[in-house]
This record gives sequence, C-alpha cells and structure tokens, in this order.
Amino acid sequence: MKLFEIREAFGQAAESIMANRSRSFLASLGVIIGITFVILMGWVLSGLDSAMEDSFKIMGVDVMYVDKHDWAGGKSWKDVRNRPNITLEQANKLIKSLKDIEIAVPVARIWGSQVKYENTTYQGITVQGTTYDFGLTPGGSIEYGRFFSQNEDEYASDVICIGWKVYQTIFPKGDALGKQIKINGQKFTVIGVITQQGTTFFDFIDNICYIPLKSFLKLYGKYNRSYSIAVKAGGIQNLDNARAEVEGNMRIIRNLKPGQQNDFSINETKAFEEQVATIRLVVWSVGIGMTLLSFLVGIIGIVNVMFVSIFERTKEIGIRKALGAKKRIILMQIIMESTILSFFGAVISFILTSLIAYLTATFVVSFVPQVSFLAPLIPFDLLLIASIISIVVGIFAGLIPAIRASNFEPVIAIRYE
Amino acid sequence: MDNNALIKIDKITKVYNMGMTEVYALREITMDVKRNEYLAIMGPSGSGKTTLMSILGCLDSPTSGQYFLENEEVGSMNDNQLAEIRNKRVGFVFQTFNLMPRANCIKNVELPLIYAGVPQEERIERAIKALESVGLGDRMHHKPPELSGGQRQRVAIARALINNPSLIFADEPTGNLDTKTGEEIMHLFYELWKNGNTIILVTHEEDIARHARRIIKLRDGLIIDDYINQNPIYA
Repeated sequence: MKLFEIREAFGQAAESIMANRSRSFLASLGVIIGITFVILMGWVLSGLDSAMEDSFKIMGVDVMYVDKHDWAGGKSWKDVRNRPNITLEQANKLIKSLKDIEIAVPVARIWGSQVKYENTTYQGITVQGTTYDFGLTPGGSIEYGRFFSQNEDEYASDVICIGWKVYQTIFPKGDALGKQIKINGQKFTVIGVITQQGTTFFDFIDNICYIPLKSFLKLYGKYNRSYSIAVKAGGIQNLDNARAEVEGNMRIIRNLKPGQQNDFSINETKAFEEQVATIRLVVWSVGIGMTLLSFLVGIIGIVNVMFVSIFERTKEIGIRKALGAKKRIILMQIIMESTILSFFGAVISFILTSLIAYLTATFVVSFVPQVSFLAPLIPFDLLLIASIISIVVGIFAGLIPAIRASNFEPVIAIRYE
Repeated sequence: MDNNALIKIDKITKVYNMGMTEVYALREITMDVKRNEYLAIMGPSGSGKTTLMSILGCLDSPTSGQYFLENEEVGSMNDNQLAEIRNKRVGFVFQTFNLMPRANCIKNVELPLIYAGVPQEERIERAIKALESVGLGDRMHHKPPELSGGQRQRVAIARALINNPSLIFADEPTGNLDTKTGEEIMHLFYELWKNGNTIILVTHEEDIARHARRIIKLRDGLIIDDYINQNPIYA
C-alpha cells in the first residue's frame, strides 16, 4: 500500500463523511456508547485498584491478624461459630512465643458501639483495646497527638485515640486533643487521632477507636470474648515465615493434633483484596455485557450506513474504477471511511467520559462521598485502548461493504443513476 | 499479425446471462484499429456498440475471443491489470460527463494521475495544462455544477487526455449537449485527432459519425459495414 493511496483514501473518506454529517453522527452513535462504556468501566476499575493499593500501603501489607473468625468468610459459618474463643492467656502466650516477627500485640474489639461528645452521638464505631506497642504498627499511626504510652497501658488510663472518621464527625472544627468523650458511660480523654487509612471500601477502619487493653477490660469485662493478635511480620519478604511461625505456635497453644483443622484464622490485608475482587467482577461483567451489546449495535449501525453510502455512490465508484482505481483503492477508501466514523465516535466518547470523570471527582463527590475513589482524569492507557478498539471496530464494520464496493463492475456501475 | 495495429480483436463474443436466456451482445467480431485512426462505431440501441466500446476500453471482458492492445493480450487480464490499462492507455469521454460533482476541475482532471501514483505537484501542473488545452484556463477552480454542459464535457476531455493515452473513447459525447455546443466539442476531437491521437467515437447519430474518417456499423452484435468516410466534416 503506497502513501499517496492512503492519503487519497483518507481525503475521499473525510469528504464523504463531511457531506453527510448527521447520518455519520447517527452511525457512530453505537460506537460512542460502546466506547463510553469501555472507558467508564476501566475508569471505575482503575479507581478501585488505586484505592485498594493506597489502603494497603497505609495498613501495611506485612500485617496479619490471628482471629477466631475468617475475614473473607470462606469457611462455613457453623464451623467458625463453634470454635473456642481465643483467650487473653492464649493471646499473650502466642505473643511471647513469636520470634521471627517485628511486633505482636493483643487486640480486643467491640463492634457497633457509640461515642458521645457534648450533644453529638456517633454510632457504629469499633472500640479496640490493645497495648501501647500497637502504636508501632501501621494501623496505629498517628495524625495528631500521640498513641498511649506503656504507663497509661499499665495503669488502665482513660485515654483514647480516635479514628479519622470519628474525628471528622464529632470534631468538625478540629481541636480534638484533650477533649473528653464518653463510651459506654465512661469518660475518655482524646490524646491522639489516627491517620486516615480507609477509602470508600474500607472506611470502617477509620471508625476504630483505640484504648488501652486494661481500660477495655475494665469497661467491658475480661471473660467471654475472643481476642485477636495483630502481628507485623517486618517486611513483606518475611510474611511467609511469620505466618508459618504464627500458625505452628498457635496450634500448639490451642492443643491441636496433627491433621486437625485450625480452629482460628490468620487474616491478612489480602482478605480485602478478595472483597474488592467481587466488586471488580460485578463492574466488569455488567460493563462488558453493555459494551459488547453497544458495539454490536455500533457495528450494525456503521455497516448499515456504509451500505447506504456505497450504493449511493455506485456511479462515483464506477467512474473511479473506469479511470484506473484498483480494487484495493476502493476497498481502502470505504474501510477508511468506516474507520474514521468509528474513531470519530471514540473521540466524542473521550470528551464525554472526560467530562463525566471531571464532574464526578469535583462536583458529584461532595454529594456522594462514596465516589471519592474515582480519579478526575481518564487514564491515558484507557484512551489508547479505546482508540485501538474503535479502529478495529471501524475496519470490521467497513470490510463487507468495502468488498462489495470494490467488486462493482465498472461498466455497470458507471451507468447507475 | 499486423504489428502496426493499435487494436486487434479476433472473434470477440459477449454473452449476457439474463436469467433463463442468453443474450448475445457481440457475435465473433473481428477487426483492428491503427494508430491515429478516427473511427466511429455506429448502430441503433441494442446493436452492441456500447458493449464493444466497453470491451475495447477494458471496462469489461469478452466471453470469448482475443483482444490485443498494442500487441498485448488484454482479453484475459485480471481486474487490477485492466485497471492499470484503463488508467494509463485509455481515456474515456461519456455522454453524461461522469465528473465528481464535489471536486473542482483540477481535482477531477488529476484523478487518473492519482491512481497512477504521480506526485501532487506534477499532477496539478499537468491538470492545469490539460484544462488550458481544452480552453478552460479560467474555470479551473470551479466545480462541475457551476459549469455549462459544454464546459463539463471539456473537463471530461481534459481528464481523458491527462495520462497521454494510446486511444480515446467517446461514448455519445454530444448526447447531452445542444447542437452548437456539440459541434464545438466535435471540433475539439478533430483537433485531438490532428495532433496524433487515436479516437473511437460511439454514436447513433449520423451527423456526429460523419466527423470520423472510418465508420463501422453494427447491428445485432455483428459488423454490417466498415468503410472509409469520403466526406468528413473538417476535412
């Protein structure tokens, strides 16, 4: 294929499209919708991925929790419910026994609690009792103030570090440090605010408030609860070692015989990944279905218009052939036209989706905070992929009409009126 | 074989399949055309003259028989080869002009050069020269709808000449023109012939055919007469 032929075909195609603007627009409508779906889907998925990555970075990918329950919920509920609680003694034993790790701390939790500050009540928080060294794990990183000290821990001081969302909700003006808040009727002094860790998907993490474990036991009682152990492996490369050690030691502590199943779970931040994977799958399958459907409509639309176009121009094609245009020139002219139509549709989609992305990230987000994980810009590689898809669609849509047109008999076509 | 012949056809037959029946448009036609002849093919409608022109102009292939153009067998060439012959060796002038309505005169005239792969600068230069030679030097940037019938046909003639073809076909070139304009066009063909071109004129009009130096008459797909015109117009 020579350059001048491509240039000529392009010129002819552009001219023909410009001569039938509204028809061309209607023809590319299906492609516009299809490409818009592709881009929006990719945009949402990439938003999900980066949100997840951000959270992992903050929470720490080398952190695991030994719990009675499995976070991902993979095990049968009945089995898990019948597991014996992890007692405080077992938790402390495990912590003492671990050698190949960075930090291990016991954790006790109460879900669905509430805090009160003056006239404000905030529901749905998690109160977590732990030791001072939880402050050394990524989960205990502090934005304002400090984590509680070993002393405060020892003497069961009524001090509290509040999660980012709790802070934002009950202290909208800031100045939380030193304030007294009430949990379960007990007054606590706010000494720290935990760094924001969640995103739209793990925002429950920012609803956690930390108090010294002994204060927790004083408030809620020691017995009849299952404790967790937070273990920081000290680098992702040590995760496997740490997990093996935790599992082995815990089995001994729980008196499990060889062959017996674990009656505890080792939860890692990876568990969130599975959760997000489900969302991904939903977005993806809905998106792909819509996309395929609209591409089908898009292709049919373009094929249709191209057929109209070639029959309308039968005489013109006949003249071109009479003057020496070879088959491939006619073929390319028609395919070029359908490709430009399709690509033009993609360009409109770029503008449309960029607008949607920008408005979502700047405007919609103030009404629907859940969409905060979406970026204001469409990633460039998505635009590239969409361009390629549109070109492929254009070529396919143009193929049959182009073959038809290139096979017109010049002697008949030229007499066509 | 006569090596001086530009065209030599031998027992050319063209059959059209019209559903159940076969229609013989040409029946074993044998003839030749020399360089710089001015030939008119005459006949009533349905005589096969248009079919003959289409085959001679490489727009169509014969059902059987042989066709030599400049000693080259073109009857069995494939579509692309025929396209190249049409592009480089044949020029067409049609009754309905067959110009691109949206393109200006230069664009129309340079079209065969595009398909021949001539660079743009040279194309435009040659198109302008061709348009000047047919007296349209002042209309080069007009589009066909802005031109009169005679002017349009001049554009078509300029286009037919652009590749310096071996022969020029004119299919009822004055059919859509008034008598006076038609006469001007015929004078243009006369000048082309005088300048050494070979012209094959297809017409059913006696007055037009009389411009040619040799006349072939067809009827029902057969040559019924082939003679030298003793009293041509513009002698």
